[in-house]
Amino acid sequence: MTDLERRYARWTALFYPADYRRERGSELVDTYLSLATPDRKRPSAADVADLAAGGLRQHLRIAQGLGPGFRLAGLLALATLAAFATGWAIFEAVASTAPWFPQRGPFLSLGVPAWAAWLLAVVVHVVAPGRWFRWAVGLAVLVTAGSVVLAAMVTGMHRPPLFVLLPQLVLGIVALGAIGWQPWWVRLIPLAAAAASVPVAASTAPRFVFSGGYYYDAAATALPAAAVTLLIGGALLALGLAARHDYRGVWALLILLTPIGMLALNSLGAMLDDSGPGRPVTPAWSSMVAASVLVLVVGLLSMPLAIAARGRLSSGGRDGPGRTPGTGSAIQRG
Amino acid sequence: METPLREPTFLILTALAGEPLHGYGLIAEVDRLSGGHISLRPGTLYGALDRLVDAGLVRVDHEEIVEGRRRRYYQLTEPGGEVLATETERMRRNVDAATARLRAIQAAPRLSGGVA
Repeated sequence: MTDLERRYARWTALFYPADYRRERGSELVDTYLSLATPDRKRPSAADVADLAAGGLRQHLRIAQGLGPGFRLAGLLALATLAAFATGWAIFEAVASTAPWFPQRGPFLSLGVPAWAAWLLAVVVHVVAPGRWFRWAVGLAVLVTAGSVVLAAMVTGMHRPPLFVLLPQLVLGIVALGAIGWQPWWVRLIPLAAAAASVPVAASTAPRFVFSGGYYYDAAATALPAAAVTLLIGGALLALGLAARHDYRGVWALLILLTPIGMLALNSLGAMLDDSGPGRPVTPAWSSMVAASVLVLVVGLLSMPLAIAARGRLSSGGRDGPGRTPGTGSAIQRG
Repeated sequence: METPLREPTFLILTALAGEPLHGYGLIAEVDRLSGGHISLRPGTLYGALDRLVDAGLVRVDHEEIVEGRRRRYYQLTEPGGEVLATETERMRRNVDAATARLRAIQAAPRLSGGVA
């Protein structure tokens, strides 16, 4: 074996799933070697990039249930954000305002248009779950982000705290996985979640008073509770589906890790906050930023790591989308 | 397999419409057929071949061991030939339509334009 062949084999081993490499590794290397000029000593950068892209494609092929997992995660995320948008909208409408609360404009806070935009996206998902839903989510993201910018620019304008808006934005991005026509009863699930949150919010909201620190007390309880519910519900769903060899629930749970972490931002930030006793309801800004970065990094890394781990594991079987041409009955040894 | 086929996929099927070819032979044949415009890389080629085999349009004809490395030869299947024929006919209609329009433009007298 030449050095060049060994190097191609090493790159193939690094990028491709184990099963695929066993079946196709030497064939791939043979083709690269046939294309290489006689004076080549090591694989070119373009070849390494091609191996990386090809390996990624194969990892995605064998990640059974990944596509349906995105759809399931999208649906659960949409149901969660629908419940929150409804709950917070009622909260703003029902909770009484403190006498000193400096209300300006038609809304108590800039949260109202943001929650309305998210609820519009939930309704659009029922009637037009394709392109229009994508546009509706885009609009809701813009209105939500716009509320932060506007509140920063105009004195006296209030907005929900970032630890409330950030999970909503992340849930919205994950909800894009729910794009596409599904049975009508599936499309109604987010709307049902919104309806279910109405009595809870309506009965809870009168206990709170709008002031400079509005949202904080309610969010500190509601967001972690939703995180735990989503985590346990997602895990049970994943286990139930996995028992039937349907792995979309596992992928959905992995995808939902980021929004779940964002929902628990307050609790995670408090764990990182070392300001000691007597600290405020909301942890220090730096702790919240550190917690959100941690959640984002762990969430974003978990997917590629899981896909790579799936590729490293020897499946033993040759059925499904990961099968290779050499394993089919069509082979005629000549 | 979704149609219309992408150009590399169409050229791979065209290349395999002749004798069975292995990876390197297939890359060289696609390069020749496209006049040097499409240079497939192995990672891309085998990704496309996997999809074509899964769709039943291509199959492994035979394999041999060369210098300790496996070399598979691929061949067009009957359904693959039908897809290629359908796609070729569709493209032929497009080419005929475009050719007729271009001839009409060339034959028509210029009504305006040019420097006075």
